[in-house]
Amino acid sequence: MSGWLRRHRAVVPYLFLVPGGLWLTVFFLVPVLTMASVSLQEGTLGSGYRLTFNFGAFPEAITRWDGQLIRSLQYGLVVTLLTLLIGYPMAYTIAFRGGRYKSILLLLVIMPFFTSFIIRTISWKFILADQGVVLGTLKDLGWVDAGFRILATPAAVIAGITYNFLPFVVLPLYVALEKIDHRLIEAATDLYASRVQAFLRVTLPLSLPGVFAATLLAFIPAVGDYINAELLGSPGETMIGNVIQRLYLVNNDYPQASALSLILMIGILLSVFAYTRLLRGQELTG
Amino acid sequence: MSDERTKLERAIARALRDDRISRRSFLRKAGRGGIYAGGALSLPAILAACGIGSSSSPSAGAMASPVGGGEPSGTLIFANWELYIDPDENDNPQNSPTLVAFKDETGIETTYTENILDNQSFFAEIQPDLAAGNPPGYDIIVMTDWMIGNMIRLGYLESFDVARDVPNFVANAADKYKNPSYDANNLHSVPWQSGITGIGYNPALVSEEITSMAQLLDPAMAEKYTGQIGMFTEMRDSMSFALLHNGVVPKDATEADVEAARDVLLAQKPHVRGYFGNDYVNGLSDGTLAMTMAWSGDVFQLQFDNPDLKFVVPEEGAMLWVDNMAIPKGAAHPNDALAMMDHVYKPEAAAQLAEWVNYICPVPAAQDIIRQHADEAESQEDKDYLAAVAESPLVFPTEEMLSRLHSYKVLDEAEERVWNEMFQEVVQG
Repeated sequence: MSGWLRRHRAVVPYLFLVPGGLWLTVFFLVPVLTMASVSLQEGTLGSGYRLTFNFGAFPEAITRWDGQLIRSLQYGLVVTLLTLLIGYPMAYTIAFRGGRYKSILLLLVIMPFFTSFIIRTISWKFILADQGVVLGTLKDLGWVDAGFRILATPAAVIAGITYNFLPFVVLPLYVALEKIDHRLIEAATDLYASRVQAFLRVTLPLSLPGVFAATLLAFIPAVGDYINAELLGSPGETMIGNVIQRLYLVNNDYPQASALSLILMIGILLSVFAYTRLLRGQELTG
Repeated sequence: MSDERTKLERAIARALRDDRISRRSFLRKAGRGGIYAGGALSLPAILAACGIGSSSSPSAGAMASPVGGGEPSGTLIFANWELYIDPDENDNPQNSPTLVAFKDETGIETTYTENILDNQSFFAEIQPDLAAGNPPGYDIIVMTDWMIGNMIRLGYLESFDVARDVPNFVANAADKYKNPSYDANNLHSVPWQSGITGIGYNPALVSEEITSMAQLLDPAMAEKYTGQIGMFTEMRDSMSFALLHNGVVPKDATEADVEAARDVLLAQKPHVRGYFGNDYVNGLSDGTLAMTMAWSGDVFQLQFDNPDLKFVVPEEGAMLWVDNMAIPKGAAHPNDALAMMDHVYKPEAAAQLAEWVNYICPVPAAQDIIRQHADEAESQEDKDYLAAVAESPLVFPTEEMLSRLHSYKVLDEAEERVWNEMFQEVVQG
């Protein structure tokens, strides 16, 4: 066996790819191809679906659900911005000012993962309930109107997604900031850069790869998120994930659901592609 | 603390399900709340979505010869919804007293599974086998009336002679359950349990008495409860409510009627808090919802915590849903299945189930037996509970109440598509 490997040394790196490749073939490639095939089928669940290469599901899905598609992209963008605005200072502080508490602070960032994210989201529902701990108290004190509510508003859904994806943003930012050589910043200040200038000209550019990774890790799942809109929102906050879920599992309209899933995938791919080009324009080495 | 915890678990389970999942709810008996993380996307439905091949449905099942009339084999495989049978003292439904009594009387060993999460996903799970003519692996399945109608149309259910094989049904079932519109002459099904979709409200938040659909659906009347009104995400329930509001009998609805019903729901929508599955129960108990569509068994159980809560069958009528036992085509043990159907229509067995399940008992004679159990109960708590079950109109509805209840329309596939699309415009448009 080892003799065979020695003779075919060039094969070895490919062998390492086999487990991952198989995994992706079975759990990514096959489902995506099935989905593509289903999106071109016609029929009903009772009588079965047949492949007719009918592309009609695509324009139909876009015209029917354009509002939800646009809303999902908007929520995704707002969430990405918010997570960066909250996450960057957090990561910066941990990386540069964390000192010996660094690992404890990082542990605190990851702490929410010790509980299932569905349970955490449902806890929000309890905390923010109309008559719950927070709003009930405020209402009793007369500080807010009796009809005031947070749940079932866009703010609740966006806040929920932001909260759930914040750790995914903090970690890559931390890694990027952590490995910045402090001597570079010292050099900048030695050369009469103010601290703001040093940050803008040295720290920020060097952390851009982290920003890039963080953005993708927040934006992609946020656009497709389904749980937050389901639990914290109302029909007015329906996102594309909820539409797809209902099309698949309630209406059993598999072709349209598959078409919509593919449209979402393509939409996200295009956004990510445009974003990559944009950052590359900023002389980024990722 | 542990009470808080089970409350949370129950809330989670409810939040993840759209359908009337916890048939018996999680409310009264603490500690049985399961967590269904990931259950929102049920695996069977997804798997079914991947392999949707077969298109040939067997020719009309009604033509095939009926099953039954033979000797039981001693084995029965029973698929039911969760929390839908009385469990043993360890909360294990496998050793349910009902199943033990069945075995003592007939010698038939039941393999009881709680595999049914909702009608659609379970149908998607067994459909490929039924379409291909393979044995489905279950001898009894429990499906809601409209799905029974659907499956009969597709020829997926065995027929049987109810007079010969299920005599207790003929003798003991309430008339309302005989010869239903979805299954003429009970040729393919007999009810397991049933319930009402009506209006539940919290008098602390609603000053007037609720008697009419208009108070829920008419924007002018619903306006004062804006943001406190709950509707169901179950298409058939919500659409049927709007149809009743328009004076249309749901099972006779035409496409124009459905369009009008959609318009009613769209006009009401600005005042609606949300379209709920099981989790409307949380809203009703914590005061988020003043008025909501509600299932009778849930409100019955909520009333133990909050006796003020009301459940009404509005004057325009309400929906009666019936979950039925049926034998899927090609089942291996049809005679055992028929023996089980006959068994649960003995008043004693029906009472045993009703005491635990709390939905509508299809056997009126069970009421006296539960009263008797209440008299004999040792602890005051059991006594009160059993008396509440026996006397509740939500478990044993009055004739007047039953007469105002309607059945769902059995939709063919084209109709179902139209109804679904119109309803999706309401809930996600």
